Amino acid sequence: MPTFFEALSYDFLRNALIAGVLASVLCGVIGTFVVVKRLAFISDGISHAAFGGMGVCFYLGIDPLLGAIPVALVCALALGAVDRETIRSYDALIGVLWAVGMAVGVVFVYKTPGYAPNLMTYLFGNILLVSHHDLRVILVLAVSVLALLFLFFKGIVAVAFDEVFARVRGVRVRFLMSLLLTLIALSVVILIQIVGIILVVALLTIPSVISLMLWRDLKAVLAGSVLIGVAITLGGLILSFYYDLPSGPAIILLGAVLLVGAYGFKKVRRRRPVHP
Amino acid sequence: MTENLVEVRGVTFGYGREVILDRVSLDVERRDFLAVIGPNGGGKTTLLKVILGLIRPWSGEVVFHLPSGSDSRGRLGYVPQFSTFDKDFPLRLGDMVLMGRLGNRALLRPYSRADRAAADLAMERLNLVPLARAHVAEVSGGQLQRALIARALVSDPDVLFLDEPTASIDAESRETLRELLADLNRTIPIVVVTHDVTSFAPMVSRIACINRRLFYHGAPDLSREVMEEVYGCPVELVTHGVPHRVLDDHPHHDSHEHRH
Repeated sequence: MPTFFEALSYDFLRNALIAGVLASVLCGVIGTFVVVKRLAFISDGISHAAFGGMGVCFYLGIDPLLGAIPVALVCALALGAVDRETIRSYDALIGVLWAVGMAVGVVFVYKTPGYAPNLMTYLFGNILLVSHHDLRVILVLAVSVLALLFLFFKGIVAVAFDEVFARVRGVRVRFLMSLLLTLIALSVVILIQIVGIILVVALLTIPSVISLMLWRDLKAVLAGSVLIGVAITLGGLILSFYYDLPSGPAIILLGAVLLVGAYGFKKVRRRRPVHP
Repeated sequence: MTENLVEVRGVTFGYGREVILDRVSLDVERRDFLAVIGPNGGGKTTLLKVILGLIRPWSGEVVFHLPSGSDSRGRLGYVPQFSTFDKDFPLRLGDMVLMGRLGNRALLRPYSRADRAAADLAMERLNLVPLARAHVAEVSGGQLQRALIARALVSDPDVLFLDEPTASIDAESRETLRELLADLNRTIPIVVVTHDVTSFAPMVSRIACINRRLFYHGAPDLSREVMEEVYGCPVELVTHGVPHRVLDDHPHHDSHEHRH
């Protein structure tokens, strides 16, 4: 059996590695906002709803990734446009989008003539199936997301920290929230390739949750969650290579182990009050 | 030309079928230290949201005659209650204060040298310079309160609004806060929304008592009858001029006790 590094001469493993690193950078940055702004459930809803678009594209014989993007964007913008104070059950709305998306996806995949695709690949992802074409799409999406976030960073941080104050200051809070949700939607689409629909939310949140436990400065938290994301993606990939595990779950489980470890570390190391 | 910077005219607002504010009118004068008082759930914070433009009233209007004109956007200083923002957010106090410079036009522009200078000045004024690099999550309630005031002041507002400013801070910080607000009041009008009537008694120039309706608006020597009407139960009233005490504590009456 070749070692992991020898195996890197294979295209599919190199693609997997590059896709994994790109996804980790996105996860670390966007995921931090998902965690601090408590948008994990919305992200999960977008991820599942996107399956509807993937199913339709599969039926039509075009790239499922291209179906996931518009559906994820529409869901994100719709959820951003709804006034949370007037709609009684925002979480129920997310739940409905989630279920309808999955149902549409399953119906279309079922009705696709000929070879039925393996649903498990979409649900749990397979980073080893990332093609050169996928990699190009992921690269374009990742660069756009990071560029937009960088441009509007100040405003998005202000809205994430204190939305009401930002509104009093005349900041365009609705626009910024919709933008943030759009960036989350695009990230989700990328992550579906890596860990699949069901595990997206874990990859978005685990690195940032760990990082938020260990650091208190926003930039440190962002850098920390990128590094943790890269570590668990690469680590998971190596584990899946040596122990013949499905890559998505291997990545998530490694993250979960790190999360528990970080929690224990934080409990053991009593933090000194810096400014009593 | 009126002396009023802010005029609330017949504002009615509610949620669903329940009316929270019923034809409330009041004004903020050029030199005011206005205390908006009333029981919890009486609509004080809702009124503040209407004035700040966060919610649109069912009927009535808020008119501004600010030195900068009639457009209030970005001209009102706001110090929120601690419960309205994320206290665990990974943010340094200095960066939080800087956020007060954020406005509509500056969305894509990085913070300028003038922004940073204004933030430094506000931090100096509020004795926060040593805490500039401290994190929101690790400072005391009083320190965080001062940083919130600094954030409200960096944009040089025409009126300063504070929502329940004494709720989350200790007695010593309250004294500091009182001195600070009295000092600020020499240059701008201050509006304090509070159920804690006693805290600002010595410096309040006028009060507004709100419990759905406006019960009283004027000098802070109101009668026991008005107070009882507002709070809906008997209260002891101590005359204005006795520092730090307007109302006696009543064990059976919880509307001016702290909930934090």
